[in-house]
Amino acid sequence: MKKNFTDKSRRNDRLAELLIRIGGVLVIISVVWILVMISRVALPLFYPASARVAATLKLPPTLASARVLAVGTEENQQGAFLLDETGTFHFLKAADGSTSASIKAPNVPAGAARLLSAEYIGKSDYNLLWDNGAVSLVTVALDSAKSPDGTVTVNHDVTARDELAFAAAGTVVQSFARQIEGQGSVRIDRLVGDRIRLTRQLLETDLFGNEKRSSETVEISDPLPGRLSAIAVDSKGHYLYAGTGNGMLQRWDISEAGQARLLDNIQASADRQAITSLAMVLGDVSIAVGDAKGRLTTWFPVKLAGSGEDRRLTRIHTLRPTSGQATAILPSPRDKTLFTMDNGAIHADHMTSERKLLTIELGSPLLKAALSPKGNSLCALDEAGTLRIWKLAIPHPEISFGTLFGKVWYEGYDKPEFAWQSSAANDDFEPKLSLIPLMFGTVKATLFAMLFAVPLAILAALYTSQFMSPRLKGRIKPLVEIMAAIPSVVIGFLAGLWLAPLIDKSILTVFFSIVLVPLLLLVTIFFWKRIRINSPLQRLTRGQEFVAMIPLVVLGCYLAFLLSGVAELHLFGGDFKQWLYSALGVRYDQRNSIIIAIALGFAVIPIIFTIAEDAISNVPRNLTAASLALGASRWQTAWRVVLPSALPGVFSAVMIGFGRAIGETMIVLMATGNTPIMSWSLFNGLRSLSANIAVEIPEAPVFSSLYRVLFLSAVLLFIFTFIINTAAEALRQRFRKKYGRY
Amino acid sequence: MKKFWKTGEPYVLATGAALAIVLVMTLSLVGVVVSNGLGYFWPKQLVRFELKDGSAALGQIMQHEKNPISGERRLQLKIANRDVFGQDFRWIDEKDITKRSLPADAMLLERREHGNYFGFLKSVTAEGLDIPAAAAPLETLERALKLVAEKNEASRKIKGQMSDLNNRAERLRLKLLKLEYNGKEQNSAAIAELTTERDKAMTEFNALNEQSSASLAEITRISASFEDVSGGSKEIALIEIVAHQRPNSMSFIAKCGAYLERVRELLLDDPRESNTEGGLFPAIFGTVMMVLLMSVFSLPFGVVAAIYLREYARDGLLTRAVRIAVNNLAGVPSIVYGVFGLGFFVYGIGGSLDSLFFPERLPTPTFGTGGILWSSLTLALLTVPVVIVATEESLASIPRGIREGSLALGATKFQTLTKILLPMATPGIMTGLILSMARAAGEVAPLMIVGVVKLAPTLPFDGNFPFFHMDRKFMHLGFHIYDVGFQSPNVEAAKPMVYVTTMLLLAIVIVASSTAIYLRNRMRKRYTTSTF
Repeated sequence: MKKNFTDKSRRNDRLAELLIRIGGVLVIISVVWILVMISRVALPLFYPASARVAATLKLPPTLASARVLAVGTEENQQGAFLLDETGTFHFLKAADGSTSASIKAPNVPAGAARLLSAEYIGKSDYNLLWDNGAVSLVTVALDSAKSPDGTVTVNHDVTARDELAFAAAGTVVQSFARQIEGQGSVRIDRLVGDRIRLTRQLLETDLFGNEKRSSETVEISDPLPGRLSAIAVDSKGHYLYAGTGNGMLQRWDISEAGQARLLDNIQASADRQAITSLAMVLGDVSIAVGDAKGRLTTWFPVKLAGSGEDRRLTRIHTLRPTSGQATAILPSPRDKTLFTMDNGAIHADHMTSERKLLTIELGSPLLKAALSPKGNSLCALDEAGTLRIWKLAIPHPEISFGTLFGKVWYEGYDKPEFAWQSSAANDDFEPKLSLIPLMFGTVKATLFAMLFAVPLAILAALYTSQFMSPRLKGRIKPLVEIMAAIPSVVIGFLAGLWLAPLIDKSILTVFFSIVLVPLLLLVTIFFWKRIRINSPLQRLTRGQEFVAMIPLVVLGCYLAFLLSGVAELHLFGGDFKQWLYSALGVRYDQRNSIIIAIALGFAVIPIIFTIAEDAISNVPRNLTAASLALGASRWQTAWRVVLPSALPGVFSAVMIGFGRAIGETMIVLMATGNTPIMSWSLFNGLRSLSANIAVEIPEAPVFSSLYRVLFLSAVLLFIFTFIINTAAEALRQRFRKKYGRY
Repeated sequence: MKKFWKTGEPYVLATGAALAIVLVMTLSLVGVVVSNGLGYFWPKQLVRFELKDGSAALGQIMQHEKNPISGERRLQLKIANRDVFGQDFRWIDEKDITKRSLPADAMLLERREHGNYFGFLKSVTAEGLDIPAAAAPLETLERALKLVAEKNEASRKIKGQMSDLNNRAERLRLKLLKLEYNGKEQNSAAIAELTTERDKAMTEFNALNEQSSASLAEITRISASFEDVSGGSKEIALIEIVAHQRPNSMSFIAKCGAYLERVRELLLDDPRESNTEGGLFPAIFGTVMMVLLMSVFSLPFGVVAAIYLREYARDGLLTRAVRIAVNNLAGVPSIVYGVFGLGFFVYGIGGSLDSLFFPERLPTPTFGTGGILWSSLTLALLTVPVVIVATEESLASIPRGIREGSLALGATKFQTLTKILLPMATPGIMTGLILSMARAAGEVAPLMIVGVVKLAPTLPFDGNFPFFHMDRKFMHLGFHIYDVGFQSPNVEAAKPMVYVTTMLLLAIVIVASSTAIYLRNRMRKRYTTSTF
């Protein structure tokens, strides 16, 4: 043989060995890779928030910081503006701190000389209150654009809008003006001496197109329980909140013209500390309350037990206390995040998750702060006349361990609950992303399915491997293996569109079958010997008894069907479902847990069967032979000798079936109503983790919180099945070692 | 009797009953699918009912049952004519029926839109067609349909040309986009040239479009007038009619012919009416294409991993880890693979490919969205364990002596492997491959996330360069079942179609796995030497 050739083959051999080894290791890598890649998407859910100073600007020398009434910035931290008491907006460039323009607010009301305050009402709009009590509305446009060559241009403009204007009205301390949809507008004034005045302005257009203005003024007459210290109004002008110097919080309904109805009057601060700041959280449901000790709480009206339809303000979330007095609360315009200012710092907290997001410490006391219209930049002015702009990175504030796995008191709910509701029609909705109802659904579906499948599969496997004649076994085993190959979508389809309506027609049949089939079996067993002698059954030799059982099962189910018709008519007034609802208060869903148990059970039976049968068959024949030789019957051998030896293998079969049931998607998706409810009732549907992923992921915006939470649930599924499968495999390997042969 | 109990014979019977239940369940599943699926295409008789209130109904009897409220027997009738009656089905109480008959001239029309039409032919408006005016309406209809089909064939050809032109224009558009992205100035000459070429294609396209719509308008004018059972008349353009039959006067052989025609339509035609009618060809094609592409990835990987485990690995920590990994690949829920495919293949690799090679097309994704390539890669990962287990088993069943003989003759390990072991293990590898294909054909959950769609406008493989479009979305039989059965607006009318699809999928899967099991069992027998 040529040396060349042997060298070449040796080289090939070594190369091949290397490649094959790599191929083997690649299996491990791919498993790890799957986990790493899906975790990598889920991980940013728990990333901390951060704020980076994008610019530090000095106030123009002509402008003392005390004279500034409002500040503002824009999305890219390229510009900021200040509003001073003359009503002039000064626009600053972040790059060099220069003033790019000073624009006086247009249409200053007649007789107004000085600006008293400015209230930001969202969407770049400001309500300006002038010294003669007049109110006007301006929109400040500030944005920046970056051209491809890197130069930044900042655009700014101030425009007046006249839909929310009120004429002079004496001395006013603080004023809120709101537009009321289709009904004109309302202003709420805080007057000297802790008085509150409401002015409703109606604009009516008659048939001829003439506009008629009318206004109506009332003053709130209810006595305040203390000195008025903070006041807030929701964006629709329906509710007015007032906080007092001794910690009382009051809520008025001001939605009807000409009257204010006191709804709540409660102690909001336990130790009678003054309420120093109030703000509506995005969505206008919750009110954030900050007190003199820096405690921050949120409240919304809740239907309490015994109060009928009335809703009472209730403390929902307690956020982390700030170090000093909470001077102002800035609600984020994008989500339920709250920025609280105290003397020297700004704290960001998320209401729903109660997560501490950020603390920005500043050297000197803060005067004014504002968020950009989309909530991703923050600017603040301190006493020393420094204006800082931060770029905020708050990736997923609403996600915390508590919101994913704990009970949360969501807006509009009467108590803390586990809830999954990922989207709604409106933007200011509070996403409910608790994984508990989904995990509950998974556990419920799996449990019911296993209850159905495990006994059937193991008994059938025992029969097949121990009692069945080998010739038949060669035919039956492939049949069950083919059953394993039936796609889950087929099972799901039949369960949802064939079995569910069928069982819906006569739900009692299922229960009667469970009783009748074993009963019939018992009767048959009693007469088995006698029947066998005088019938064609004699031809069934040992190992073929199950053939006789097939008609028995069918007969049992049929009898159950007949009986259920009779029972329903006589015991349950003709309609079992109706009876269930009226007598037991149980709601019946057509796609319920019974359907799931049967369908999912059907899917895992062949898996458990095959592995269990293998395990039982692999018990060495000499054990069986010894037992039989000692005079044990075939059942005694199977039950006392074979099954105990094969137990680890059988157990591992059950675990693998369990793992399969947990992750099964299509069957659960199609055979349940996919309602994320937590009830153990057999007659209700459920939503499982896996089906939830399939339902929601096509709709989830990439890299949104929902998207990442769905990846997180995939990680959970992975880890859970990993543990189960690894344990099952370890068991099986031990079992194999015990009995040598594969 | 006492002995009977003591020896535990009753328990044996009980275990036998458990097996019987499992078998009954399996058989009834297959039975339900087959009985519902096979019957759908058989031309059912159109029965005319006269009711007590004087009205009449014409339709196919779907089922009989007891009315759950009144307890009377009633029957469900498919009355079709969705556009006239507003619904496809109605219930009739049997006590209300005064007379039933089978009108010989009752006609069933399959239409392109609005489902079937049941009624009676009145007349045919066949202007400009070469048909003697004296012919009977039915004959006229048949001849007119034939002529319309011929004319339609011509306009179909034009449509084909139009689609070619459209494809060319699209390719030119993408080229233009690329040139413009790379720098408008330096490529201005090429851009101008391509623009004129594209404009030319578009003009040609528009001319053909006009021609086609003119001929379509001409064909649409040919129509037939029908009357439904309640006397309302309906004018239906012949182009709308896919098939017509008079089931009440059809012979058995004619019915067989109609049945086979429907089966052909199912296998080779495109779906109609949001997948609830017509054929399944794109879904079958997409499934097959995806499965084949998947095997290209999963087979080598699986075989190599199995060879490693059986022939190269020594028993140790690493081997055990690989085994655990294989078991976990098999046990991880399929939806997790889908999520992985979405995060890693689609947005990870696909997104990078897009920004590297197709930046000019962004934000329209090319590979950064679900497609057949990502679907088959995802499923390849999912089915690799099946190949590994089957290959390993078949390698294990080859007696040691054969290996030792080869090595003793001086062959290297690799030579033994390629020349002796792999050829012997081929049936086992085939088993694994077929089983993995069956698994992939039935798997839906991950595909829903990484690239299956309800209705794909184009096949992933066609006559346009580069012929095999890895980035396209595709249709899949399993997803078709879920989509039509659970997401279509008219589930009741769509049900028969779902049963047919289910039967087809089940048949594919069962045939594939039976073959695989047969192969495996033969392989086992070849080498098994029993001592007991």
